[in-house]
Amino acid sequence: MSDKNKKKNKNKAEQERKEDMKRLREERKSSIQRAATMVKTQRKDLKVLMKQMGSESATAPELAQATGMDVAQVIWYLATLKQYGEVVEGAKNGSYFTYKLVVKEPEEAVA
Amino acid sequence: MTDGQTITCDALVVGGGIAGLQSALDLADQDFSVVIIEKDLSIGGKMIRLSKVFPTLDCSSCITTPKMASAAHHKNITIYTWCDLKELTSNKGSVRARVTQKPRYVDQDKCIGCRKCEYSCPVYVPDPEQGGFCATKAIRIPFSNAIPQTAALDPESCMLCGKCEKICPTGAVDYFQKPFDFTIEATTTILSTGFEMTTIEGKPQYGDGKVPNVVTALQMERLLAPHGPYNRVLRPSDGMEPDSIAFVQCAGSRDKSMGIPYCSRFCCMYAIKQAMLLSGALPLADIYIYYMDIRAFGKGYEQFYQTAKAMGIGFIKGKVGRIEEAENGSVAVRFEAQDGTGVTTENHDLVVLSLGVLPDWSPEGICSVSTAEDHFIQTVQPSIGPTLTSRQGIFVAGAASGPKDIVDSISEAGAAAMEASNYIIAQGK
Repeated sequence: MSDKNKKKNKNKAEQERKEDMKRLREERKSSIQRAATMVKTQRKDLKVLMKQMGSESATAPELAQATGMDVAQVIWYLATLKQYGEVVEGAKNGSYFTYKLVVKEPEEAVA
Repeated sequence: MTDGQTITCDALVVGGGIAGLQSALDLADQDFSVVIIEKDLSIGGKMIRLSKVFPTLDCSSCITTPKMASAAHHKNITIYTWCDLKELTSNKGSVRARVTQKPRYVDQDKCIGCRKCEYSCPVYVPDPEQGGFCATKAIRIPFSNAIPQTAALDPESCMLCGKCEKICPTGAVDYFQKPFDFTIEATTTILSTGFEMTTIEGKPQYGDGKVPNVVTALQMERLLAPHGPYNRVLRPSDGMEPDSIAFVQCAGSRDKSMGIPYCSRFCCMYAIKQAMLLSGALPLADIYIYYMDIRAFGKGYEQFYQTAKAMGIGFIKGKVGRIEEAENGSVAVRFEAQDGTGVTTENHDLVVLSLGVLPDWSPEGICSVSTAEDHFIQTVQPSIGPTLTSRQGIFVAGAASGPKDIVDSISEAGAAAMEASNYIIAQGK
């Protein structure tokens, strides 16, 4: 097969895939919308939470008070960020553990 | 495997929990070819999700993982996960199963389990494998020691942003996967479909699942597991280390109002086990077990119970009537003590419900084996042949035939394998 034909076939396949993806997006419209709304809230929450944490360690109730978020939601995010290596547990303050952001080298940071 | 394909084997094992794995390994070691079908994304069943086992306090995954790996690597065993059994018929020394392979949206042959897709996914969803106490991603490996180590995508939470597909080094992500059917033809079948717990929402008197810091026993297993959501025991409402923890027994079993009049059999022992583990994890915490009566039925179980008492765990004989939210995230437990002190209310930081046990699978409309009054699979000769069902050539193992602890499930799985082995030989195969 000539290079010209190969390129033509590749373009055709790409076009077909684009069409398929479009159809799939249409099929899953409601779940995509739901997920997108959820992600938007999560991004907002995480931004507020991570900004508040900065370089200081804090307990979940302290973070909840400072951010106005529900404390149960804060501990849920902290446990999640800990699972993905974004947060580490620090010293205990009374009955609560403190949490601190992991400082990552620029190339390590997750985009 | 492809759509419409027929797979032939000596034995089909339905369910890849500890009983199914044991049966499969026992048969495969006798050189019979075995197919395991599993409804979850990983084999291992409930046991792989536990922290430790009673009465030895051995690490649960240290026992289960080698069995999972042995089954996965055994030359005579083929495992299909994320499957639905649609139909199981038996006729003259053979069984035929129609199975639906659900889509993972990840090509199992291409996925190398690197988790790059999971890390790149922007959607956080509650992690069912961690009791919902933290999040996982819309595309993920189900848990760290899952077998197979293959990612799966939850289409309900996926935005189709394409990040996972772009980052996958092997091109394994496939948004267009569809479910397909295949057939398994075998000489015999072992049903090892396990159990499920009643839901925390089932009883209004216990808060209907709306009282913060009331958790299920399986959620407590995750809190106690070293690779759990917090890597320690914390209160889910605010992250506080609890000072007072209570276990409420028979919170869904031996309760006609819940439709479960029977005893769940192993709840007493796992509550004692969890109380002992908590006592080690939180040495200063007060731990109580509210019970109707303790059923320590197995070898070494009574000593285990006596050890727990000696460790200072409080056993309060009394039926809990009501569980309500109290101040500062505490939980008020109202109960009638049987020592004559009458109705009392105690506040605890964390309350664990020992819920009822239900069969995880109903053969209704799928397979013609009989079920008993409690809806578990009926064993027709419970005293001399506890693995025999109402259908010749179809055997049952583990909690599929009734609430059973791990020790009994494993020994019954061995018995089911022997019955199946004899049956295959009798068929001249």
